[in-house]
Amino acid sequence: MNGSSRLIRVRWLWCLAVLGTATFGALAVPTWAPAGQSGPGTAAGQMAQPVAIAAQAGPRIEITKHKFSRPTLTVPAGTTVTWLNRDEDLHTVVSTTLAFKSAGLETDEAYSYTFTKPGVYEYFCTLHPLMTGKVIVK
Amino acid sequence: MNDDSTYARDADSPEVSGGDGVDRRGFLQCMAWAGTGLVWTVTGGVLSSRALSPASAAEPARDFSFVQISDTHIGFKGEANKDALGTFEQAIARIKALDPAPSFIIHTGDITHTQKAGAFDTVTEALKGTKAERVFYIPGENDVFADGGTEYLGRFGGPTGTGWQSFDYKGVHFVGLINVLNFKAGGLGSLGQAQLDWLKKDVEGLASSTPLVVFAHVPLWAVYPKWGWVTDDGEQALGYLKRFGSVTVLNGHIHQIMQKVEGNISFYTALSTAFPQPAPGVGAGPGPVKVPAEQLRSVLGLREVNYVQGKSRLAIVDSTLA
Repeated sequence: MNGSSRLIRVRWLWCLAVLGTATFGALAVPTWAPAGQSGPGTAAGQMAQPVAIAAQAGPRIEITKHKFSRPTLTVPAGTTVTWLNRDEDLHTVVSTTLAFKSAGLETDEAYSYTFTKPGVYEYFCTLHPLMTGKVIVK
Repeated sequence: MNDDSTYARDADSPEVSGGDGVDRRGFLQCMAWAGTGLVWTVTGGVLSSRALSPASAAEPARDFSFVQISDTHIGFKGEANKDALGTFEQAIARIKALDPAPSFIIHTGDITHTQKAGAFDTVTEALKGTKAERVFYIPGENDVFADGGTEYLGRFGGPTGTGWQSFDYKGVHFVGLINVLNFKAGGLGSLGQAQLDWLKKDVEGLASSTPLVVFAHVPLWAVYPKWGWVTDDGEQALGYLKRFGSVTVLNGHIHQIMQKVEGNISFYTALSTAFPQPAPGVGAGPGPVKVPAEQLRSVLGLREVNYVQGKSRLAIVDSTLA
C-alpha cells in the first residue's frame, strides 16, 4: 500500500509540474483525486484541486477506448474546452495546424485550451492518428 | 489473451530437458519453424530442441541466436501493470540467463512509455549489462510522439540520423525500419518514400538466397487496420523482399504473439514486457488490458530467434515471464 500511495503522489506531482509549465492559454490540469491521496507534504496538491475544477467549467471531451466522446464540438469563441483522458492508454490532443498541443496525457490527466478565434480546429492523437476530432468555434 | 486462437495448446507434450536457465513452471513455449508450418506448443517444461528437432533432445542446433525484446514502455504505471520496471528487469534477467548468450538484441520499439527523462537510459543501460555484443533499436510511437523523434534520433539515429539501418551477421541480412514518424491525422503508420527508396537500394544487390530479417515496430502486415495495426505502405516494402527465399519479419506494437506466413515471408509480432493488449477487434479498442495479478507474467515476455546456416528458416522461441 505504501508503494502505491507513493506512486500516486509521484504522478500527482508530475501533473503539477506540467501545470507549472503550461503556456499559450493551454492548461494541463490534474483532475484525479484518488481516495487516500492526501499525505504529508501535499499542500501543492490541495491547491491544485480547485484549479482543476475551475478549469472544467467549459465543455469536456472524454477519451475512452481510443475515442473522443464528442468528435465534433461547436462552441462560442472564448470557450475553454477540456479533454480528459479516461483511457488506460497514453494519448495526446494536438491540432493539425499545431495551434494547440497537449503533452502526453496519462490516465485521468486533462488538458484545456481556450478558443479565442472563430474557425474549425481539427485535432488528433499523435500516438494514435486514427483518433481525430474537431472543435468548431463560432 | 492466452486463450485465444493465437496459439494452440498441447497439454500432452512430454517432458523436456532443461539446462537453459529459464524457469520451469508455467512456461509458455511457442515455437515455430518459419516456412514449414508452425509447431506451437505449450508445455510445463523449458525451451529445448524437442520441438525444433525431434531427433535430438539437447540444445537447439544454431549458428547464432538473437533476442527480440519489445514494448518495454518504461514509465508505464497504469492499472495493467503497476511494476512495469520490475517486469522489464525480469526480462533482462532472462536474457542474462540465456546460455549460450545471444549474439545481439533487437528492441522493436516503445522503449519508453512517455519519453520522460531517464527512460531511454534505463533500457540502454540494462541491455548493455547483458552479454550480447550489440543492441539494435527502432522506435515505437511512444518514443517519438512528444518531440517528433528528436531525442530518439539523436541517440539512435546513427550516422545518417534517419534511424533506419541494415547490417549483416553471419550471412543473414538484417534491416530495421521506422514506421512511427510523421503520423498524420486520420492516417496510419508509414515508412515514407525516402525510406522505401533506401530499402529498395539496400536489398537490390543481395542474392535472393540471402536470408533476410526485417524488424519494425508497427506490424508491416495488416493485423487489424481499424486499430491502426498495419503499416500504410508496408506492402510496397514487402514487394522489394518477395524475391528472397527466406524473409522473417519481426514486429511489436500489439503486445501479443501473432504469426502469419505468406509465400516466403514469415511475420511475427512479439509480447511486451509491460502490459498485454486485447486480441484484434476484441472490445471497444486497443490499449492496456488488466489481467488478474497472478496471470500478468504469463502474458508478458520476450523472444529468442535461432539461426542455423543452410536452413532457410529461423526458429522462433517465445517465452513468457511466468
